[in-house]
Amino acid sequence: MVGMKRNTVNMIRIRLLAFALMMTSATIAYANGYTIVPEHFIYCTTCHGVELQGNQSVDAPRLNGMEDWYVRNQLLGFKRGWRGTHNDLIGMEMRPQAVILDTDGIEEAAAFVASVPARRPYKAETAVGNATRGKTLYTTCAACHGSNAEGNKLLNAPRLAGQSDWYLHRQLQHFREGIRGSANGDINGAQMRASIAVLPDAEAIADVVAYINSLH
Amino acid sequence: MTHSFTRRKFLHQVGAAGGSAAVYQMALALGLMPGKAFGAPQLVAPLNGRKRSVVLLGGGLSSLMSAYELERAGYECTILEASHRIGGRNFTVRSGDFIDEMGNPQYCQFDDQPNLYFNAGAARIPAHHHYLVHYCRTLGVQLETFTNVNYNAWIQNDAVAGGKPIRYRQFVSDARGFIAELSAKGISADAFDSNLSAEDVERVLQFLRNYGDLDPNLLYKGSNRGGYVQPGIKAPTAGMLEHGTLHERLDFSELLKSDFWQYRMHFGESEDQAAAMMQPVGGMDNIVKGFVRNIKSPMVTHAQVKDIRIGEAGVTVVYQHDGQNKELKADYCLNSIPKHLLVGIDNNFPAEYIQALSAIGRGKMFKIGIQMRERFWERDNIYGGISWTNQNVEQLWYPSHGIHSDKGIMLGAYTWNHENAEFFARLPPQQRFKVALQQGEKIHPEYRKYAENFVSIPWHRMNHHMGCTAQWTPETRELYFNYLQQPLAGRHYMMGDQLSYHPGWQEGAFSSAHNALSELQKRVSAELASA
Repeated sequence: MVGMKRNTVNMIRIRLLAFALMMTSATIAYANGYTIVPEHFIYCTTCHGVELQGNQSVDAPRLNGMEDWYVRNQLLGFKRGWRGTHNDLIGMEMRPQAVILDTDGIEEAAAFVASVPARRPYKAETAVGNATRGKTLYTTCAACHGSNAEGNKLLNAPRLAGQSDWYLHRQLQHFREGIRGSANGDINGAQMRASIAVLPDAEAIADVVAYINSLH
Repeated sequence: MTHSFTRRKFLHQVGAAGGSAAVYQMALALGLMPGKAFGAPQLVAPLNGRKRSVVLLGGGLSSLMSAYELERAGYECTILEASHRIGGRNFTVRSGDFIDEMGNPQYCQFDDQPNLYFNAGAARIPAHHHYLVHYCRTLGVQLETFTNVNYNAWIQNDAVAGGKPIRYRQFVSDARGFIAELSAKGISADAFDSNLSAEDVERVLQFLRNYGDLDPNLLYKGSNRGGYVQPGIKAPTAGMLEHGTLHERLDFSELLKSDFWQYRMHFGESEDQAAAMMQPVGGMDNIVKGFVRNIKSPMVTHAQVKDIRIGEAGVTVVYQHDGQNKELKADYCLNSIPKHLLVGIDNNFPAEYIQALSAIGRGKMFKIGIQMRERFWERDNIYGGISWTNQNVEQLWYPSHGIHSDKGIMLGAYTWNHENAEFFARLPPQQRFKVALQQGEKIHPEYRKYAENFVSIPWHRMNHHMGCTAQWTPETRELYFNYLQQPLAGRHYMMGDQLSYHPGWQEGAFSSAHNALSELQKRVSAELASA
C-alpha cells in the first residue's frame, strides 16, 4: 500500500530530481502514486489501462476499486466458461487470460486488482439514461448491491458505484439476453439473471446505469 | 569543397528560418539532393551544440527513423517500448522467438535454420516507397525480389467447380477471354450507333483480340496463357516436342460465381502491390536491426508508459521498468503508441485530442506460419506468391526465399476480413493449426503430411498491440487526420503508421515520422531563432 507520507516524500524527490536532471531517469518507487504492477500482470494494464482504470477503445472495463472476492469469482467464471463463451464475443477476448491462470494465479490476480486504489473523482463516460427514473428502478437492486451501490460480500453482490457505465450497460443487457447468468453452475450469475426482470427494456437499463453513475 | 561548405552553411540558415520543408526544397534547388529517390532525408537541422531532448514512445519504425535522424542532428533521444522487442509490427519470426499473445504465450518451434522464418507483420516492399528503400540502402539492408503475384498459384472457391482449385493463370486467361469476346460482340453490334470511327472500331476489336487472346473470328477458344495440360507426352514439359494441349475452358457462369474477380484478381495491379516487389534478404526485421545497429540512444524495452504530461517546459513521462516507476523529462515527445491503448494511459491531452484518438478503429489481421518439411509447392511449379481461397484462411503464401532448400515456412493463413481474424483468434492455437490444415488441404491435398509445427499471430490479440492497421473512415479522416498531425502545445507529436493514409505499411510509419520531424524542426527553428 502506498502511504500518504511516503507519497509526499516521493513527490518532493521527484521535484528535486526534476530540477537537477534533464533527460535522466529517476528511480522512484510509486512515482506520482502509481502502483508497481507485477511483471507477470503487466498485460492486464495493456487493455484495462493505467491503474486498471478501464479503456473503452478495447472494451476493457475499469477494475480498480473492484473487490478481490468478485475478481476471483469472475476469473473463475471465465476459466470455467461461464463467461466469455457462447455469443459473448467481447468476453471471449478476456477468457484466454483467465484460462491460463491456475488457482494460485487467480488468487494473485485478485489480490493485485484489489491492491490498485479506486480513483476519485469518478468520471461518468457514456451513460445517457434518466437518473431520476433510474433511482426508482434501483430500489430493488439496492436490496443486494446496497443503497449506495457499494456492494455486499455476504450476498455476492459486487460494488457497482464507480464501474465503467458502458460496461454496466452491456453486462445488464447480457444478463437480460441470458448471455450471462445462464451457465450451469453459475449460481451467482443465475441469481442476477433472475433479478434482471426489474429492468424490462433497454431504456430501463440506461436509466438505472445513469443513476448508478451518480452514486460515488 | 569550399563551395559545398558554403552551400551547406546556407542551408542551415534556411533551416533555422523556415524549417525542414524549406531546407528540403532549397537542397533540391541547389542540386544537393539528386532527385528524391537518392536523397538523404535532411529532415532535421543539426543543433550545433544546442541541447534538445526527445522521448520517443513506442519502438516501431516511426520511432526508429526519428531517433536515427534526431541523434545525428545532436538531439538526446530515448525510446521507450512496452513490449519485449524493438520493431513494432515489423516482426520476423524464427526458431525460439517469443510470441506474446494475450492468453496464449508461445515460443516458435521452427527449426533453427536461416531460411526458416516468416514475416509476421510487414512483408512487402514496393519499389516506390521512398523512405523504406532509402533506409534499406543507407543501413545496408540487402533486398531481394518478392513474388507477390504468381500465375502458377491456385484460386479456390467452395462455390466454383465443386471447390476444386484452379490455376491463377487459367482463371485470369479465361475471365479475360470471355469478357473480351463479350465486348467484341457488343462493339460489333453497336458499331453504327457508337461515336467511334470505323478505324477506331477496328482498333478496339484488335485490342480486345489481343486482350483476351481471341481467335480471328473474335471468339475465345482458350489460350496458352492459361497454361498447357502438364506433363507433355513426348517430353516432360508440355509444348516442347508437340503442340501443347489447352485446358478445357472454365464455364463462364461458374467463373462468375467466384469472388476472386471482385478484388483479388486485380490485387497485384494495385498501387502498392504491383510487381516488382522486394523483401530484405533474411527477414524484414533486418531493417529494424539496421536501425538498432546505428542508433546509440537508449532503446528501453519492457517500459510501459503510465502518464504523459505536457508542460510549459517539456513533457514528463512516467513509465514502469524493471519493477520500478520511473520518470523521464524531455523537451519533446514523439508518440507512436497505438491510439486505442494510448487512451488508456494517463495524460493531460485536451478532450478533443482524446476524442480524435478514440475515433480511429483498430484493425484485425491474422497470420499463421507453418513449417513444412518439404517444399512440396515447388514440385507443383509454385515459387513464391499467393494462392487465394474464399475459406477463412483467405491466402496461402509460398516463400520467395530459400528456393529448393529442404524445408520452408508457408503462410497457412493471412486474413484481411476482420471476421476471419476474430474467428481464428478465438480458437486456441492448436485449433487454429487444425483449421488451417483442413482448409489448406482443399488446395494442396497432401498439405497436412508435410506440416511440422506452426506459429499463429493474431495482431489484435498481441500484447501491447491489440490491433493491426488503424481503421479510418472518410468521416474520421475528414474530422481528425489533419488535427492529429499537428503538434500538441509544440511538445507532443503523434506518429506511427496509424497516422498515415497507409496504415499497415512501413512507409506509412516513415511518412508519419517525416511529418512529426518536419513539425518538430519548425518548432525548434522558431525557438532557436527567438532565443
